[in-house]
Amino acid sequence: MTDRADALIVGAGASGGVAARRLAEGGLDVVCLEQGDWPDRSAFPGTRPDWELAIRRRWALSPNVRRLPEDYPVNHDDSDIEPLMYNAVGGSMIIYAGTWPRMLPSDLRVRTLDGVADDWPICYDDLVPYYDAIDREIGVSGLAGDPAYPPHADYPLPPLPLGIAGRRVAEGHNRLGWHWWPEPNAILSAPYDGRRPCVQRGVCTSGCAEGAKASTDMTHWPRAITAGARLITGARVNRITVGAGGLATGATWLDRDGVEHHQRADVVLLAANAVGSARLLLLSADDRHCPDGLANSSGLVGRRLMMHPFSVVTGWWDDQVEGWQGQFGASVTTYEFYETDPDRDFVRGAKWALSPVGGPLNHILPMRAGNEVWGADHHALMARTFGRGASWAIFGEDLPEESNRVELDPDRTDGDGIPVPRMHYRISEHSRRLMAFHEARAAESLEASGCGDIGTASMIPYSGWHLMGTARMGADPATSVVNDRQQAHDVANLYLLDGSVFVTSSGVNPTCTITALALRTADLLVRSRRRQEVPA
Amino acid sequence: MSAAALEAERLRRLADVMLPAAHGMPSAGDVSAIAAYLERVLAWRDDLRAPLARAVADLDPESFTVERLAAYHGIDEEAYVALTTVVAACYYLSPVVRERIGYPGQVAKTYDAFAYTAWVAEGLLDPVMERGPIYREAP
Repeated sequence: MTDRADALIVGAGASGGVAARRLAEGGLDVVCLEQGDWPDRSAFPGTRPDWELAIRRRWALSPNVRRLPEDYPVNHDDSDIEPLMYNAVGGSMIIYAGTWPRMLPSDLRVRTLDGVADDWPICYDDLVPYYDAIDREIGVSGLAGDPAYPPHADYPLPPLPLGIAGRRVAEGHNRLGWHWWPEPNAILSAPYDGRRPCVQRGVCTSGCAEGAKASTDMTHWPRAITAGARLITGARVNRITVGAGGLATGATWLDRDGVEHHQRADVVLLAANAVGSARLLLLSADDRHCPDGLANSSGLVGRRLMMHPFSVVTGWWDDQVEGWQGQFGASVTTYEFYETDPDRDFVRGAKWALSPVGGPLNHILPMRAGNEVWGADHHALMARTFGRGASWAIFGEDLPEESNRVELDPDRTDGDGIPVPRMHYRISEHSRRLMAFHEARAAESLEASGCGDIGTASMIPYSGWHLMGTARMGADPATSVVNDRQQAHDVANLYLLDGSVFVTSSGVNPTCTITALALRTADLLVRSRRRQEVPA
Repeated sequence: MSAAALEAERLRRLADVMLPAAHGMPSAGDVSAIAAYLERVLAWRDDLRAPLARAVADLDPESFTVERLAAYHGIDEEAYVALTTVVAACYYLSPVVRERIGYPGQVAKTYDAFAYTAWVAEGLLDPVMERGPIYREAP
């Protein structure tokens, strides 16, 4: 072990954890800098009666609401969607839902198939072996054979329960002749790899106290550390350093006391999500090598930000379905309207996931579908709807636009005096047409499944879980930031591991693909280690 | 009576209008929602103290109605959100209320992980499978 690591990873979340394990097990000396801490599962609020209060502040999905010392603010004043993330070992997997869909073959070829946006420089078949591998590392519960996908290896665990609502929607879709399938989830349905299974508590997005929902603090970091990786928490990186030859030499970082350190490395890998990594590249500008930001000769760092527009359509039955219970996560998914149909006034589509509705506060305060009602009518509304609903969560494919971007805020800084990211993001008219179509179909789905009342919360602003596209992958250095190995065109020993490299967003939850890509990049790096250019 | 006690008393009266006894449910006052749970709620949501105090000062319990509450949303949204969040949170922390709405909390449940084999065998997925692949081939 020396003070110069073989590989320096910035961020210990989904992609950072996966890459750290592969690199360390491949024999590299790995150092990771993470601004958060190890999560304390005993502090997760989901087992407490007041958990719905906790998720509105300390356990909020937005760093701007949570305001923990390890968080940095994000200026989203000019964004239609608020970014959601978590800073800790395990990263935003601590608060994600855990749904685990792969991309589909068409997702990587939208220019060829639909004449919009761009194709990826890799194809679905390039990802399949890494999808299969990451499913085993994570412990995915699901059922193989979904005809919405090409055949692939079975999941390591059986699917999680459909629940009462899932069963009804499945039957409803059979009546309509529509596709449905049990959702694959990165949540254990049975004991696996020393972890306990899901107990259906329905609080996945405020941390899984059981440890059934996968996050890399459990699934990858223990093995990475056993293999020799060094993980430094409370370390906020403020600059990637560059040497005379234009190669990255490491990173400077601040500890919790504000003391600056420098970590040297042969290779630097950014895994700080599509907002954080873009911010860091822009913070690393220097007049000599890269006045507009590191790895930014294309001018695309921070641009093409994508966040899936997100709507919720909730249906209520006449009887109890224990609508607060079950994986969140999802029980049932559908790809009935996922692929392009030339008869519609938009291209591409959306994936739906059937989820619980939550406890009484989520039910009656305006967080999901439904309006607040007070007075005697409040009780009537609760009697008619509480515990009787389920929601289709709809993620629409978000096509890239250069005007949607992350940049450095010229005025605001975080607690360490570092400029915060500022987002400019608009939901396009195309996306609005797409979402309106899907919301209407989702209402038909729930009606066919027996729901009497149906409510729609359209394009909810508090929904930016899926951060993608700010350092896109591509073959041409003039129109992309990284190549098909996620290696920066401009800096041969700099890699981006997170959702920033996405060329297009697909319409599915991205963490499965982010981790498969990170595993692929780390694997290729281990295999080609001797050919890797490093600083003198 | 101290200022804090006076404020709590005003809040209690507002809460009784927002959540009265009706449709078989107790009022907020019937379950002592504010007295029992206010500090616990504010322990999680200390940020609501100031806007809640504003709402309590602005809204006169003597003339308070749900219509006035709705109108208040347009006057001071932050204070409105604080008031409705605190009142609802206190009310639904009451075990009496939870029992009455049939909510045991987010409890742990056991299940058979292989129960899916029964609904697969029963043919629930057959219509989906019989349609065949629905994905688009891509080069």
